Amino acid sequence: MTLGTRTRAHAPAHTEAFGAASSALRPALDAPRRPARVLAVFPLGVYLEIRTDIEPSVVAVITGEATRLPNSVVLGDPLPRVSPGDDATVGDGGIEIGRTTVRVRRWWDPSPPLGAVELDRLRAALPRLAEVCETSPRRPGLDPDGGAALLARGCADGSLMSAITAAEQLMGLGPGLTPSGDDMLSGVLVALRRLGDAAGVGRAVWLADWLAATVAFDAGTRTTPISATLLHCAARGEACAEAVAVLRGLAGHHPLEPAVLRLLRLGHTSGADLAWGLRMGAAAVVTLGEKARAGA
Amino acid sequence: MITVGAALLAEALDEQAVPRLGVDWRPPLPGTAEALAKVLADPRRARANEIAVGRLTSARPHLVGVRPAREVLDLPRGTFFHAGPPIEWERASGPMRGALIGAALFEGLAADAGEAEKLLASGGVTLDPCHHHRAVGPMAGVVTPSMWMFEIADAEHGGSAYCSLNEGLGKVLRYGAYGPEVIARLRWMGDVLGPVLAAALALSGPIDLRSLIAQALQMGDELHNRNRAATSLLVRELAPAIVDAAPERAAEVLRFINGNDHFFLNAAMAAGKVGADAARGVPGSSLVVAMARNGTDFGVQVSGLGDRWFTGPAGVPNGLYLGAYGPDDANPDIGDSTITETSGLGGFAMAASPAIVRFVGGDVADAVAATRRMYEITLAEHPAYQIPGLGFRGTPVGIDVALVARTGLLPIVNTGIAGRVAGTGQVGAGLVSPPTEAFTSALVALAET
Amino acid sequence: MTTGTDLVEVRAGLYHDSVSLMRVSQALISRPGVDVAVVAMATELNVGLAREAGFEVPPAGPSDLLVAIRAESGQALGEAAEELRRQFAELAGGARGGGGVAVESPPRTTRAAARAWDATLALVSVPGDHAFAEAMDAVEAGLSVMIFSDNVPVEQEVLLKERAQERGVLVMGPDCGTAVVGGAGLGFANVLRPGRVGVVAASGTGAQHVTCLLDHAGAGVSHVLGVGGRDLSAAVGGRSTLAALAALDADPSTGLIVLISKPPAPEVAETVRRAIEGLSTPMVTALLGPGQDDLTAATEKALKALGLPVPAWPSWTVPQEAGPGGLSGLYSGGTLCAEARIVAGTGTFTDFGDDEYTRGRAHPMIDPALRLEALARTGGVALLDVVLGHAADPDPSARLAPAIREARERGTAVVVTLVGTDSDPQGLRRQADALVAAGASVFTSNAAAARHAAGLIGSAL
Repeated sequence: MTLGTRTRAHAPAHTEAFGAASSALRPALDAPRRPARVLAVFPLGVYLEIRTDIEPSVVAVITGEATRLPNSVVLGDPLPRVSPGDDATVGDGGIEIGRTTVRVRRWWDPSPPLGAVELDRLRAALPRLAEVCETSPRRPGLDPDGGAALLARGCADGSLMSAITAAEQLMGLGPGLTPSGDDMLSGVLVALRRLGDAAGVGRAVWLADWLAATVAFDAGTRTTPISATLLHCAARGEACAEAVAVLRGLAGHHPLEPAVLRLLRLGHTSGADLAWGLRMGAAAVVTLGEKARAGA
Repeated sequence: MITVGAALLAEALDEQAVPRLGVDWRPPLPGTAEALAKVLADPRRARANEIAVGRLTSARPHLVGVRPAREVLDLPRGTFFHAGPPIEWERASGPMRGALIGAALFEGLAADAGEAEKLLASGGVTLDPCHHHRAVGPMAGVVTPSMWMFEIADAEHGGSAYCSLNEGLGKVLRYGAYGPEVIARLRWMGDVLGPVLAAALALSGPIDLRSLIAQALQMGDELHNRNRAATSLLVRELAPAIVDAAPERAAEVLRFINGNDHFFLNAAMAAGKVGADAARGVPGSSLVVAMARNGTDFGVQVSGLGDRWFTGPAGVPNGLYLGAYGPDDANPDIGDSTITETSGLGGFAMAASPAIVRFVGGDVADAVAATRRMYEITLAEHPAYQIPGLGFRGTPVGIDVALVARTGLLPIVNTGIAGRVAGTGQVGAGLVSPPTEAFTSALVALAET
Repeated sequence: MTTGTDLVEVRAGLYHDSVSLMRVSQALISRPGVDVAVVAMATELNVGLAREAGFEVPPAGPSDLLVAIRAESGQALGEAAEELRRQFAELAGGARGGGGVAVESPPRTTRAAARAWDATLALVSVPGDHAFAEAMDAVEAGLSVMIFSDNVPVEQEVLLKERAQERGVLVMGPDCGTAVVGGAGLGFANVLRPGRVGVVAASGTGAQHVTCLLDHAGAGVSHVLGVGGRDLSAAVGGRSTLAALAALDADPSTGLIVLISKPPAPEVAETVRRAIEGLSTPMVTALLGPGQDDLTAATEKALKALGLPVPAWPSWTVPQEAGPGGLSGLYSGGTLCAEARIVAGTGTFTDFGDDEYTRGRAHPMIDPALRLEALARTGGVALLDVVLGHAADPDPSARLAPAIREARERGTAVVVTLVGTDSDPQGLRRQADALVAAGASVFTSNAAAARHAAGLIGSAL
């Protein structure tokens, strides 16, 4: 009689799982197959790191209930059972993890166009965004008066020096899989690029370009691999679906408040960090836009 | 996303991780496709059903009086009302015949059963359904001029409806018994019970049955096979007034009511009737306003089809039998008490009544499943009648013949079972399935309007 | 008469859709020792087929399920019955809702489903006689609806679209073969990249062809909204086309609208023209028919409007010569068939997706049997379309390749239009490779395929 030992079950047959992938992952998935390994396993997601220099180098394989990260493949099927450190491959149109091949049956856009947005509409939406954030019990993981305030001022002034200095300070700052500083910075980057684009504020997009370059330069060495990938995505204007929904709310495509509340609920502080970042970015777009208008 | 139809297309969505809810679709009942297409395309339908079911669920039935049938109903001597769709003596079942015989004896139209039978067989008594006269009756549902009736008034739409007083269990007229004790009880009800209740109600003022029924549902009644809570609530309302109105008779009357857990059923039925009648006559509406059985036929009336009956053979209920009785002793389904299901109670509210599930064979999960199934064929959820166990969701109410045809799901009816031999009385209780053709023929007729 | 190895069974009140049942039948037939297997609803047609095949079928109605299996031996029959049981168990499992939605008992109507769940869109693919009820449920619940079902009477279509207009929702179809809504591919949709092109299409395969070409060129779609082949008729009045145009115009993801349709009825043309003039989004119109741009040319116009370069449309040709005989077009897509006929200017063309070939059997995109039979009889040049994507044959080249090889051996030239993308479940490259290996020339542009095919006529003489 054996007690307390697990019998080695027969290896399960190879299975296919299907899902919907962010189009940000298309280059990685279309490329020839490359080795990867399982970085982390959570109830709602499995993170893989591809051995490559190309971003996104981390792929999240998630269930429909998980936060819809811009580097994710959402499965309609149950998650494969794997452990951190397991081998995987990504490419040739699929992902192999454990005995499962994940195939993509739908592509979705992690940065859907916002359309043109009037600067005045954006300005009018800011106080509502602030109010929902301030009245929520959810708070960012970092003191908003520290590096974040410096970043906000730098952005609003259109001052590249102080913005970059603040970004350098924020990167990797704080605890967790995605440090609070990174999430905030992501929020700022996405708001500057997407809202700047939508409202025709060139200076905001210019600022986003420079901040993006800073982030892309050394995120890989300054923070966790997952967070670095998300920063790379943010640099291109890609964010989780919940953050995109707030941007769409600001642009007037749907009610703002429920979208903000949904974002705030994410993670331990991630949602709040992102929301505060979006606030800073959006405020900067309005300030820069008004300056440009006054100057013109 | 909602998917209905080919599994192949639904699977393609699953592979795309698109969240969806699949419909478990089946073809409609045979022979209804064409009528369904017409009825569903009728531009009046949506609004008509909204109006009709709105009236059904907004009725505010109040118990306002107890009065002799001859005073309130168009019921001359020599006419009896009965349960269900129209029927003549030749086709009447055992319990219906027994009740008619008893009624003839009670009214003094015949000296004994033999004479009564001869009188009835020769057409010496005019028979007419209760439903044609703002009235309903349980089981045989026979109403004669001398019987005392609950009078229910609808404070919302102004209608009124009537139902006889409940005789209790055992050998009773409504189950077709007509022995001397049955007739004696009916006389006592006319001489004592009716007048005392009338006097008590005059003192207490009208009783709001909508709220009483709502409370009873939350206390485990479904108001068809279980009326224990509702009866208790009614007694609580009436007892002081009964004592005040008739101190000498009060104990006798209260003991009678308390001895019969179904006493409230008849009031619930009239409450259902007054609402269902308010919903009648809306052109284009596919709402069922009456389901009733005469022991031979099961009949259905529909709001958009006036007073026409659509019938099929009444089935034998499936359930538990009392003592040594078995299915062979059972009469086909009988009574107007299906007015409770018509108004969102009874079988439709089974989930509210865990206590009766064993009585009707099954467990609590079956009762919940039964109620859930009825949401498929009903137009609304009752705003006042709620089911605690379903998160205070309103009971499914307002049967739609079109939805019955589409889903093939028939109304679930809780019912008592009468013995097939006249005079036997109740032999059991259970669930009964109405005949499909009653609903499909109504739908076909509606398509022609 | 019933032999010892026949199994005939009527299961009262059991329902499954025809495509699912066809897959069950196929699974049975593919078993060794099974000669005939009919698993279908007991419609007059299906009962007739079973009786013709010599089965003794007891009385049954269209709401009953008919099983008729003939096997070589009792053992094979027993195994087939076991397989049948397994297949039905699987089907029953699949009916219990999907996509992670937990339901205690699945809803029985779209109306009940819409009450139970917060959806925005319904996909209706029940038989055409019954589609109206489900679609009307959706519209009345404020849901847009795609009606994949065909054979829906035009009066019902008009009613649905009138009601949809009141409720501010969109009715796609009836007989809408493809749509992409918010990235989700419905019906026979391809796996496309997300992008800026919004498509309004009265033709399913037309839309598939244009969007697949756009995908080859790197341009993605925001939405593909089918409107049904009759929408621009006088009776329907273009209601869905107008609603779809307005929806795309208001959608920030859409930067260019492509309208694909036959020329509208004259009464409707003016309304549509005015609606188009009122749009703020740039627009390319691809009208089908003689004297119009072909779909490839229309796609190229769209690319120019987007400021994108027009690529060389992928094709894989093999040297081949055609023996005697003209050009035979054997198509599964009606629009592609019509286009090829016009472009080639010669030959006989058959649309196997037409009602007369699909009554009682699955669409040729799912079941190639009829087309394979036709190909076996074809000399000269055979021109076929193969349409990939969701819900289509999971590996069309597997059954086509041997038939193509045989045709080539007979001296018949074979040209294939391959409509699909690399992301499609079947894989465009994989299918192209298999078809080319079998000896066919393969084109992603239908117009190019038709021109090539016409050029091959009589080349061996």
